[in-house]
Amino acid sequence: MTAELHGGSDLVTLNVINNRLTGVVKDMGTTMMRAAYSPIFNESLDFSCVLFDRRGRMVSQTEFSPAQVGAIRFVVKWLIAEIGEDAIGEGDVLVHNDPYRGGAHMPEHVVVKPVYFDKQLFGYVANIAHMVEVGGMAVGGFAATATEVYQEGLRVPPVWLMRGGEYVHDVWRIIMANHRAARYSWGDLHAMLASLNVAESRVSELLSEYGYEVMNSAIEQLLDYAENWMRSEIQAIPDGDYFFEDHMEDASNPPTRNMIRLTMSIQGDSVTADFTGTDPQGPHVLNCTYGVSASAIYNGIFNLVDNDIPHNDGAYRPITVISPPGSMVNVVEPGASVGGNTETHPRLWDIVMGAMAQAIPERVSAATGGTSCNFLFGGNHPDTGRMFVHYHFDGVGWGGKSDRDGNDNLCVPNGNCITTPVEVFETRYPYREWSYSLRQDSGGPGMFRGGLGTERLLEVLSDEITISALYDRMVTGPWGLFDGKPGGTSELLIKKAGTDEYVTFRKAFGTLSNSRVANVIVRRGDMLILRSSGGGGYGHPFHRDLEAVMHDVVEGYVSLEQADEAYGVIFETHGESLTLDVAKTEDRRSHVQPYSRDLYLPIPVSNVQCQFPSRRLDPDGSWRPLQRDWWDTKVEHCHFCGQMIPRDVWVTSDKHRFCSIECDSRFMRE
Amino acid sequence: MTYQVGIDTGGTFTDIVVLDVKNGTFTVTKRPSRKDDPGAVILEGLGRSEVDASDISYLVLGTTVGINAIHQRVGAHVCYVTTQGFEDVPFAQRSNRKFHYDLDWKSPVPLVNRRDCYGVDGRLSYQGDEVQEMSLESHQRLAESIRASIADNPEREHAIAVNLLFSYVNDGHENKIASFLKSEFPQIPLSISSQVAPIWREYDRASTTLADAYIRPLMTKFVSSLESGMKSYGYDLPWSVMKSNGGQMNSSAAGEMPVQTILSGISGGIIAARYFGQLCDESNVIGLDIGGTSTDVGLVVDGLIKYTLKWEIEWGLPVAAPFVEINTLGAGGGSIATIDPGGRLMVGPQSAGSDPGPASYGKGGQEPTVTDANLVLGRINPKFFLGGEIGLNVGLAHAAVSKLAAKLHADVYETAYAITELAAENIAESVRQLTVSRGIDPRNFSVVALGGAGPLHASAVALAVGAKRVIIPPHPGLGSALGTLLADKRVDKTWTHFVRSTEIDAIDIDSRLRELADSAITEIRQEGFIGKPHITRTVSMRYMGQNYEEEILIPDGPVDEPAIKRLLDSFHKHYKDIYGYNIANEIIELVQFNVTAIGPANFQKLRPVFQTNAHSSIEYRSVWFSPDDPIDTPVYRRANLQAGVAIVGPAVIEELDSTILLHPNQTLTITGDGIGILELGVTHDC
Repeated sequence: MTAELHGGSDLVTLNVINNRLTGVVKDMGTTMMRAAYSPIFNESLDFSCVLFDRRGRMVSQTEFSPAQVGAIRFVVKWLIAEIGEDAIGEGDVLVHNDPYRGGAHMPEHVVVKPVYFDKQLFGYVANIAHMVEVGGMAVGGFAATATEVYQEGLRVPPVWLMRGGEYVHDVWRIIMANHRAARYSWGDLHAMLASLNVAESRVSELLSEYGYEVMNSAIEQLLDYAENWMRSEIQAIPDGDYFFEDHMEDASNPPTRNMIRLTMSIQGDSVTADFTGTDPQGPHVLNCTYGVSASAIYNGIFNLVDNDIPHNDGAYRPITVISPPGSMVNVVEPGASVGGNTETHPRLWDIVMGAMAQAIPERVSAATGGTSCNFLFGGNHPDTGRMFVHYHFDGVGWGGKSDRDGNDNLCVPNGNCITTPVEVFETRYPYREWSYSLRQDSGGPGMFRGGLGTERLLEVLSDEITISALYDRMVTGPWGLFDGKPGGTSELLIKKAGTDEYVTFRKAFGTLSNSRVANVIVRRGDMLILRSSGGGGYGHPFHRDLEAVMHDVVEGYVSLEQADEAYGVIFETHGESLTLDVAKTEDRRSHVQPYSRDLYLPIPVSNVQCQFPSRRLDPDGSWRPLQRDWWDTKVEHCHFCGQMIPRDVWVTSDKHRFCSIECDSRFMRE
Repeated sequence: MTYQVGIDTGGTFTDIVVLDVKNGTFTVTKRPSRKDDPGAVILEGLGRSEVDASDISYLVLGTTVGINAIHQRVGAHVCYVTTQGFEDVPFAQRSNRKFHYDLDWKSPVPLVNRRDCYGVDGRLSYQGDEVQEMSLESHQRLAESIRASIADNPEREHAIAVNLLFSYVNDGHENKIASFLKSEFPQIPLSISSQVAPIWREYDRASTTLADAYIRPLMTKFVSSLESGMKSYGYDLPWSVMKSNGGQMNSSAAGEMPVQTILSGISGGIIAARYFGQLCDESNVIGLDIGGTSTDVGLVVDGLIKYTLKWEIEWGLPVAAPFVEINTLGAGGGSIATIDPGGRLMVGPQSAGSDPGPASYGKGGQEPTVTDANLVLGRINPKFFLGGEIGLNVGLAHAAVSKLAAKLHADVYETAYAITELAAENIAESVRQLTVSRGIDPRNFSVVALGGAGPLHASAVALAVGAKRVIIPPHPGLGSALGTLLADKRVDKTWTHFVRSTEIDAIDIDSRLRELADSAITEIRQEGFIGKPHITRTVSMRYMGQNYEEEILIPDGPVDEPAIKRLLDSFHKHYKDIYGYNIANEIIELVQFNVTAIGPANFQKLRPVFQTNAHSSIEYRSVWFSPDDPIDTPVYRRANLQAGVAIVGPAVIEELDSTILLHPNQTLTITGDGIGILELGVTHDC
């Protein structure tokens, strides 16, 4: 439906209300950042603030973390459906971190508060944030070797944190008893509550200014407006089914791989992303919740369309995500999932790029570094005697694109976090950093090269620190596109005090894997090297502009060796000065077909076969409430798309169970 | 000795205001700015002002030299010296990106080449203890590298920036390397992070120190060449330069602290807003300076201008120095109205500028701008725009707005009305970010309208944010230049000192605060202030484990045990007020102490000149105040309005540099100071 514009005053009101609604969530974010305890909130900004209407549709959101925004869209909608609108009263706050209920992974806690106006429910404000310590088998809520959800921390199903403005003490006490750093959790939860209160009062002000009716109709129009815009962008992408696959890896001996397969079907003005064919979930932490997989698809698509589209519920409507329950991209109980959000999400994002490279090669980028380089630790600080816990991560190089190099050292696409500054890091935790630098040659060579990853050198200054780590891309470098070369792989090495060699964790500690370690003890004088991966290159490196290679060498991004081997650019050195050897370079480069635009055209999609052509015109079934004991927290999934079914299930005569009639009609029967 | 001179170098014009101290009247000279030689314009302007140099008692300059050099990337070739292993800090940056979903975005480019970043040995712990000594060999290697780099860039000016880890706790290593570099490179200016910005977070400090070094040679040169120019013009008294913090300092100090002058010149408007507020007994003021391409919004709370320590050259390149907090947004007369791909009407931030300018300029601009919309609505006089300097073509404005209206399936007047309302809304949103978002209630504020387009849109903005009323100074277009004459002397001193509430040494803090105050007083005297400056002291505090602080005022008087206790209590209370909770038994961390010395400006009150005795309207024209029907509206010349006159809207009041729009039922009263007080006349229920 097209948003109708009713002349002057309505043109204005819509803008005003949109501004004000965006202002509400921005203010929530500022409150959160300032009042929070964990650096992951106040330095890294790993949280998101969202406003929903009464039907649980996302109206506005802060631009903090793309991974959370995709998930919270489901979390709140399903929470309201499951609990029931009537059960949520004024002054109540609900909390949950259940990965099977749309959440991203166990550390992400969502708090939701209804907004009432004149005793009438208007909508909900919600905040999803990564709490630094949630109990479980490893310090810092990041049990990289977990095989089941129960090891990953305290799982909280939807429960009341506040009721009518009063603390629900029992719930608080259970949470505090299970988190290692209860002080942090106490402060962080209060920061989240403070942000909800700010939002609640802002929305109330808006309601008293504009009234319930005007606000609701403006929201309808804003959602339609975003939907229209998104549909017109999708319409411009050539129709077709675009398939791509990639894997997650474990740097064990031998390395293991889990395949993820995705078909992006563009049909007119809508997209269906289908993960059918992906490997089953495994006894590891890289499984994704439905919320994470859907977030990654949204995130990838948003990067390929106009950045100015408002990211409210309307923008998501044209996108359907099909994610088979029990697969790696839709984990069911008791599967673990803590790394799905940090490691698998960026891979899914890369896979969207790989698939869409066949349709719109000029807009996609090669693979990003693709790992959050999660590095977690805790212990007692020798200077204060107090317990500390920290979640550290590093940026990676991003992939090259058809007209520019990838950026160096950026947070992976699922987040947009700031790494903890060295001075903050050393002030809080017993380490000394001896260096923090960009890794020469880690950018994947290409006509447009990938960005560089980073390297840190850390010395342990305490008798005992317990660390856990979860990395990816240690075995296979992030891929390039159109003859671009892969970026450098990530690494995690240790030199124990008294030894003089940096070795892998398998060697030093006998862990099963180099990329997934939990609860390893490091000691005073141990030295650690943390290396993050680089981005993939785009286009053949022999097509890279000579000036650009020269600049890269002079500025130290690319070594003379890499210039020679990968870029076919040969320099003569005279002492400190460099000159290009034009003849040798031309000769080397002549072995590759010269650059032409045709080399980078979309792969033609002949005989377009759309996967979901038919519609069942006579849906034959009935809505039934889910039958479940009050204490039972099991989750049921839609037979077609894999989403959670929160309250009512559509049961068909052939005994399939769907979340909607739409899913029934799209389901292909034998 | 009867004149004070204020100079405002803007992007387009350099305004020179000459105030006659005896009778409070002033004259104005406007010259086109010259980016290549800003000093020449000033000297030329002074020459034309027909004021004898020996009659000038006081001269203040706001300059954009620093910011222009940074934006155009024409500053010095900088060598960056840092702790070994951390040479990449300016390049690794913060790892976040400006947009979530924009693959075309490029990280900001630092003000230094990567090859010009050098590490030296020597390392401090977070407590400032030396854990590795500095070595002479390392210093010598550094000197060789710098020498080679300078030789490679013979055509550039050079500067050196030094930023070692934890220098904000202990500046020993930085001082050591500074004196080494001074002896090796006596001609090359140095920027030392512990002096430029003694704050934690190495990237923010690096970025700030680099900015300081980048403009240092340029500022030094600019000041000294202007100095000698002034001398030959015959002026040899000390003169002052505006600082980014809204204060001013002696010109001789400006070359020493270039980073403090990056936004010299932007704060004039808000200082003028505060002054005109005071004349109307209003200590809470929202300053709106609406020009051709942009609007500056600033805030005065309880008579004090709001400051910030965070400002960014562009996204991701922070400068951590005291700045007057001003929101600048792309909204002005030249802002273009378009329909975005989602079908929504948008105004700005693209601007038609002055070339081609709005459609009505007739210089080829096709797209409708805010000025065109105002013209269609009859709100501005096509024959008296900028005092008649530019003739506006109503037909062209009509055609441009009509084209847009057709796409929206709306009436041309509806569309024009929506354009003006949206422009006001964009500005209102920026006001809300400074007020509502910070828990400040705009209902307790008056809007002061400055800039050519300020008085035209101020009442719509005031209504949108719920402000009390609008104050319209005489000659609103000259606010910035006047502001330079109204600026106080101001010196900010900070001391980063981590201490927990359980281990506070009150005696130590008391003596350090006294030292800071003494050095601030010494500096403010050096900058030319005579008399007793006003001292305020604050400390930023947080609960242990947090990373953002709240700034708490330290009351006057000695800092002893009971004073510390009261200070901690006021933090708990403040925290509860803001965030709705506190943790009564939690340890508090004191992080940074700030001492500010303010020397109030010595300013001669302005006197209005009322020209004739009649205030009768000069004509009537059709003006749209709603999208529906026009109203036959009287048009006045402001110069004809006497003190005490009250006009009830609808009305339009024109003056040389601006137009006041008075909606139906609003009233405008002229005070004895010649200020227009616009009462909004409707109660706004929010």
